[in-house]
Amino acid sequence: MNAKKIDRLVKMINQISLNMRSNGSEDLVVSQVSEHLEKFWSPAMKDLISEQEDNNVGLTPISQKAVIRLAAMQRAK
Amino acid sequence: MLEFYEPQADFGTPQSDSETMVTLSIDGVQVTVPEGSSVMRAASESGIKIPRLCATDSLKSFGSCRICLVEIEGRRGFPASCTTTVEAGMQVNTQSDEIGKLRRNVMELYISDHPLDCLTCPTNGDCELQDTAGEVGLRAVRYGFEGDNHLVAEKDESNPYFTFDPSKCIVCSRCVRACEETQGTFALTIDGRGFESKVSVGPADNFMDSDCVSCGACVDACPTATLTEKSIIDAGKPEHSVVTTCAYCGVGCSFKAEMKGNEVVRMTPYKDGKANEGHACVKGRFAFGYTTHKDRITKPMIRESIEDPWKEVSWDEAVTYTAKRFKDIQARHGRTSIGAISSSRCTNEEVYLVQKMVRTGFGNNNIDTCARVCHSPTGFGLKTTLGESAGTQTFASVAKADVIIVMGANPTEAHPVFGSRLKRRLREGAKLIVIDPRQIELVNAPHISADYHLPVRPGTNVTVLNALSHVIITEGLQAKDYIAERCETDDFDIWTKFISEERHSPENTEQYSGVPAHDLRAAARLYAQGGNGAIFYGLGVTEHSQGSTAVMAIANLAMLTGNIGREGVGVNPLRGQNNVQGACDMGSFPHELPGYRHISSKVTRALFEGEWGVTLDPEPGLRIPNMFDAAIDGDFKGLYCQGEDIAQSDPNTQHVEAALTALECLVVQDIFLNETAKFAHVFLPGASFLEKDGTFTNAERRISRVRRAMPPLSGKADWEGTMALANALGCNFKYDHPSEIMDEIARLTPTFTGVSYKKLDELGSIQWPCNDHTPAGTPVMHVDEFVRGKGFFAITEYIATEERANRKFPLLLTTGRILSQYNVGAQTRRTKNSEWHEEDTLEIHPHDAEERGINHGDWVGIQSRVGETVLHADVTSRVKPGVIYTTFHHPVSGANVITTDNSDWATNCPEFKVTAVQVSKVTAPSRWQARQKTFNTQQQQLLAKARH
Repeated sequence: MNAKKIDRLVKMINQISLNMRSNGSEDLVVSQVSEHLEKFWSPAMKDLISEQEDNNVGLTPISQKAVIRLAAMQRAK
Repeated sequence: MLEFYEPQADFGTPQSDSETMVTLSIDGVQVTVPEGSSVMRAASESGIKIPRLCATDSLKSFGSCRICLVEIEGRRGFPASCTTTVEAGMQVNTQSDEIGKLRRNVMELYISDHPLDCLTCPTNGDCELQDTAGEVGLRAVRYGFEGDNHLVAEKDESNPYFTFDPSKCIVCSRCVRACEETQGTFALTIDGRGFESKVSVGPADNFMDSDCVSCGACVDACPTATLTEKSIIDAGKPEHSVVTTCAYCGVGCSFKAEMKGNEVVRMTPYKDGKANEGHACVKGRFAFGYTTHKDRITKPMIRESIEDPWKEVSWDEAVTYTAKRFKDIQARHGRTSIGAISSSRCTNEEVYLVQKMVRTGFGNNNIDTCARVCHSPTGFGLKTTLGESAGTQTFASVAKADVIIVMGANPTEAHPVFGSRLKRRLREGAKLIVIDPRQIELVNAPHISADYHLPVRPGTNVTVLNALSHVIITEGLQAKDYIAERCETDDFDIWTKFISEERHSPENTEQYSGVPAHDLRAAARLYAQGGNGAIFYGLGVTEHSQGSTAVMAIANLAMLTGNIGREGVGVNPLRGQNNVQGACDMGSFPHELPGYRHISSKVTRALFEGEWGVTLDPEPGLRIPNMFDAAIDGDFKGLYCQGEDIAQSDPNTQHVEAALTALECLVVQDIFLNETAKFAHVFLPGASFLEKDGTFTNAERRISRVRRAMPPLSGKADWEGTMALANALGCNFKYDHPSEIMDEIARLTPTFTGVSYKKLDELGSIQWPCNDHTPAGTPVMHVDEFVRGKGFFAITEYIATEERANRKFPLLLTTGRILSQYNVGAQTRRTKNSEWHEEDTLEIHPHDAEERGINHGDWVGIQSRVGETVLHADVTSRVKPGVIYTTFHHPVSGANVITTDNSDWATNCPEFKVTAVQVSKVTAPSRWQARQKTFNTQQQQLLAKARH
């Protein structure tokens, strides 16, 4: 069940990253994507994807970095 | 606003908007009026009524009836007061023996060819002809009634809502002029000359077969019983009326609900309503019969499972049962395992209460609203670029627009009263650019022709918008001073570099959008250089995987040309349902409290926590698509759905049905057993807009009162039902009237601090922000600066949707609405509006139809990657080759069985407007349709058991 849930979240993050990719430097885009997730996603969704920060679940490089940043934000709460 | 029935005041001719005043004397009284006023208007404004028949203040003066004659010192003869303009020092006499004689003579001629059946006439006591005969003192008709006349002329009763009785017609042309000037349809004309003159519906045999759109403007304008509502013929004259707001589209028309006891006998567009100024459409004007339809469910019902019969129970039992089930679910599955969906059809006060109940009673932020599936990208896009999630103008502002862009919207069908305003401005000479895959009516209508129709391929809006900006920037047509003063210049420089890239040129984007480069360049130049530029857009912009990007691109385009911050310009989302704006304002999104303030803000939470006496969860809750996914995953078990039919309106029906089936407790509050309620365990009977007090906020940010005209059939208005449920869950909601809820909203929401029912009664309506800075509201936003300070040019990269046409699915389906039906059709299908649209059909271009051997009227199967449905084919060139179109007003159509889970990247607004499909000729309904029919029959039987 979790794999299906993760696939869904990965698809969403990759779509967000793709649409933000031209916003500026990679660091800026990573920051914007992680802030978007923090701002609009429920805790359960954030927790589940944050658990994948070190895993290869199909995230694009920018998405992967955004998830790592999101996970750090989650830990800091 | 409850008052005895009186016809609305009529000043005879329209108001002049001149600021120069003129003083004259009428019957010895000094009168000062704006320059350009008619003598008739000046007299009316000073309390002197001049008899008239062909004049009414919603239409230009015409001067045909010769009843309104007056004497003016220094002028020969007896000028018509309706066509004579005031002059300084003018001395007017409205009464004299000679004038009286002339008027009686004219009146005598009218009455000599008019039935003398006043006592049995349906408009007895509410007839201008009758009144005028009395005013001029007509006592006899010397000519007799034996000569040629029209007294046996045959009635036209084809229209379901009104009759046309030519025997009572005085050929004043008011109906013809109303159809032209007010509605802009030009369905009526005067045929023949002299005695043979008669009102005619063009080349058609009757009203129903003509171009008439049944807006009722002709009926309102008729001074006799020639055009009369059938409801009035049946029930007689109303005895009191209540001013309220229409519950259909986002135009938010003001109406007088005209009553006999608790029965509505007529809905009349209210002339003082600022959204509609006395005009209406076939839905608001006539389609109110659903409110007392036999399908209304008026008692709460419960059942253990959806295979059980319903059991009628008391309100107490229903809310206690619901609270127990919800608490039990939370005990077993956690605090976040339940949530709610509020409705844009309900009042501000009701949606506010639902989100308050979720945040305080459920203890989470799992609250979303149906705007998720329509205008959530507007909220995101306009907040990002301009700083506020709302349109910038009044509807009336379009009268000062010089170039109008209509994109992904079909105002004459979906927002008809605004559509009429728009058409009026276009007839006056404003230029029009339509960006739409379909040839909507505005592209080519009587006396209107779009200067440019850019027939964009579905899914490529962003390429067109970027290309428009590209042309403006690369040709140096931008508003340099405006941008330098009003916008973030560093970000503008970055954006300029982005948009100047050759890949955004019309010549390059044509390959994606299908829009010819030379047309696009010309349209860009026109918008940039044509004067006041106003953009109106709809769901054809938002319901895409790049919906938020497109909204930001629209804001960019408006800022780029300096077209925000004054009348006649702006960015204007046309909202689908009556209270989309209000539902969003009221904190119905899972990440925002009322007033668009993020739930993570400690300061904002503290404000609400202080008022509500609870600690709020600082994390966003689930959006609607997340709720469905979580339900299927087994993490989300309980849902309270108020006034929304997600089983019909949301995409990928089979996915939605799977989610609803997976719920342990689904509570639906609605006026009918809608498609969603067939999956429910608790049904709470809803109240129609006529049964409750509250407010709606239209697409102009205009807050208008909804006033109770009749008691709620279930005993409770919706806000009372929600309050009962909240209190059963342990909340302590105490409101005696929705005005107290609005007072609470005003205490907590900076843009609403000046709003109260008292002020709404005084002003009629208020456009928010309304606070200490703008106590009477804000008609035009962003006047001196943007709400966010400086305007932000967002980068709008075009990312194509994953939903691609290919050999297996070569056509692109897009969906929309039709004039006579509204949204999922729950209301309009239960009215005579279905005589215009009894089923949804599939529009397909003749080339595509021919390739597939499809003829007009054939059954065709539409297959997408997620499902299949069957509709009748409508072979038409309204759609371009490669694109097909349907509506979603009938559940059995299954339009959303074929739409997919794709959604906007920023907001998850579904991509209703792009679905790759194949179409083929078939002979039977789809498997889903067969299942739907069986399921519907079963559920109707389970309902019938509750009622017997």
